[in-house]
Amino acid sequence: MLDEVLRSVQTYLYSTPQGEFLRESRWAWPIFESLHFLGMSALLGTVGVFDLRLLGFARRIPIAALHRLIPIGISGFVLNAATGICFLSATPDQYLFNLAFRWKVTFFVVAGVNVMFFYARTFRRLLEIEPGAPPPLAARIAGGVSLCAWIGVMSAGRLLTFFRP
Amino acid sequence: MDPFFAWVEATALSVFLRESASLWVFPFVLILHTVGLAFFVGSNIAWDVRVLGFSRGIPLETLSRYFLVMWIGLWINAVSGVLLLIAYPTKALTNPLFFVKLALIGAGIAVALRIRRDVRGRAGEADVLPTRVQVLAAASLACWVAVIFAGRFLAYTCTRLTVDSTC
Repeated sequence: MLDEVLRSVQTYLYSTPQGEFLRESRWAWPIFESLHFLGMSALLGTVGVFDLRLLGFARRIPIAALHRLIPIGISGFVLNAATGICFLSATPDQYLFNLAFRWKVTFFVVAGVNVMFFYARTFRRLLEIEPGAPPPLAARIAGGVSLCAWIGVMSAGRLLTFFRP
Repeated sequence: MDPFFAWVEATALSVFLRESASLWVFPFVLILHTVGLAFFVGSNIAWDVRVLGFSRGIPLETLSRYFLVMWIGLWINAVSGVLLLIAYPTKALTNPLFFVKLALIGAGIAVALRIRRDVRGRAGEADVLPTRVQVLAAASLACWVAVIFAGRFLAYTCTRLTVDSTC
């Protein structure tokens, strides 16, 4: 059942214009890969550092001020979603049936659920905390889970070529 | 240089890094190099953007804390980078782009240290930095983008993988 669904997704993605463009252009793939690494850096340099702050690192930086850098991380994520969809469309078989890709998606889901929970429950209370005060347990957990999930996404991404189907 | 490449590639460490089937050897070194890059370049990008005037609420004095993240990232990448070089010396050292990448990293670190010195002298003063420092931050951003492109393109521009095999 799952296999059939994946096969039809594979056929569809392979026929898309962005997939064909990436397969036929000489330099598009390495350029898109470089952009993918750049987006990753922007995400980790802002969201990753915000996670470290939630864990209690650099407590003198006000949380609200550090949070103003998050749009840069979101821009990085959008860039990576766009370039990522292009890679997936160019060679869908290399991802859909790849164990490392499934791990990558799993880590995404963990990061996504964690961030929704963080903004729904924890974030508002955090803004009232004095700079220098130790962060509450809920914030530490959210920061730790986020950091581990993004490191997991990067690690699984790097392992893709070692798990080629 | 070939005798030197051949000698490095014959060392036990080089053979182990290249030929071990374990995911904890070569793939793990690659993962370290990627995670280190994300923290090192990422925290540089965040600081450059702060210097350029984004998110002014972040106190400039806290720059030193951010520098700690940069240094840890840089050290992870220096160590993992040397291991990758020991595994495939011919691949890197016969590619001119590798030296361009090293030069760009050197320039990027020099600019980052210069920005740090300029910002340190103004801790507690106005939050807006002079144009000269902002120009340095823009140069720093350009440098790190170029480093990432150079690094990624290494895999597509190499001609020799080892002394006796092509890419």
